[in-house]
Amino acid sequence: MGQTKQDEEYGYDLFPERNARNPKQITIRDGLFTFRNKCQGMLRFAMETSPYAKLLLSAMKNSGCKVFKDRHFSCEDCDGTVSGGFDAASSQIVLCQNNIHQQAHMNRVVTHELIHAFDHCRAHVDWFNNFRHLACSEIRAANLSGDCSFSNEFSRFNFGLKEHHQQCVRGRAVRSILAVRKVSREEAQKIVDEVFDSCFNDHAPFGRIPHGNKDAKFAYREYMNRDRYYANL
Amino acid sequence: PPRACEDYLSEFRHCKSFRNRFHHYYTYGTAPSCQQWKADYHNCSEWERHKLTEAKDALQKSERRRLEEQKNFTPVWKLRQAPPGDWHRPLDQETQQDS
Repeated sequence: MGQTKQDEEYGYDLFPERNARNPKQITIRDGLFTFRNKCQGMLRFAMETSPYAKLLLSAMKNSGCKVFKDRHFSCEDCDGTVSGGFDAASSQIVLCQNNIHQQAHMNRVVTHELIHAFDHCRAHVDWFNNFRHLACSEIRAANLSGDCSFSNEFSRFNFGLKEHHQQCVRGRAVRSILAVRKVSREEAQKIVDEVFDSCFNDHAPFGRIPHGNKDAKFAYREYMNRDRYYANL
Repeated sequence: PPRACEDYLSEFRHCKSFRNRFHHYYTYGTAPSCQQWKADYHNCSEWERHKLTEAKDALQKSERRRLEEQKNFTPVWKLRQAPPGDWHRPLDQETQQDS
């Protein structure tokens, strides 16, 4: 009983395969053309080619949290429309193989979750008890991963131009909190508003808000040259 | 110099591009200011070619200001001194299905 309550409180019910009590049986058929294979293929491609992902992986390695694909990523079936999650308890990024079908989407989800992992790695983030910390990481992830790019918002029929990015970031942060915690919308909104200014301006490790791959490539170049940079200041 | 001089030029060009100006407006509601990159490129070239100390100082000052601007917020959380101890902890048998 206690286990189920805790599952719901922390959003674990969205990720049924994480339930230790009913481990899923793997059959031979699962080894062939499955969502899992597609997920793993797209994941590898994202890690190797997306400048967003490469920068984050490099930054995490430098912070002492080197990411191993097989240890820190897990392709699973998830409930609803959720695309992924970060499980601080097991230090794993969950990718929802049944909900991610395009490479661009995979790139974005990997970036988003790696930002959570990066925050976990470099700061004392109290994921389970401190809503301000949770909100902060969600704001950063929505801000820096391309979740709120003009084209993504446009394709969701959220038309807006001037400063719409910030509105989108606030909205998605609230939604992410509501998806994994039992709080009211007003409370989630209040917490997001409280930490927004601080967290929206925290661009680590990018050094800027990457609006697209070109920005991310420039940020990656900057990051890879940081030794020379700091030596010559 | 802190960066290769071509980097300053490419940042300037990127800053002035339509795409970037569009996204800047979409994010901040204002136009980006790109002049600093141009000035930095100029100072970088002067430093490299003629070893002018004023150019060097100006460039370093500009980069330091850029770094300051990035820290312009009060962190919500405390930074760690060391990575989380359980980051590399092997997964339990129940949660790890293959191998």
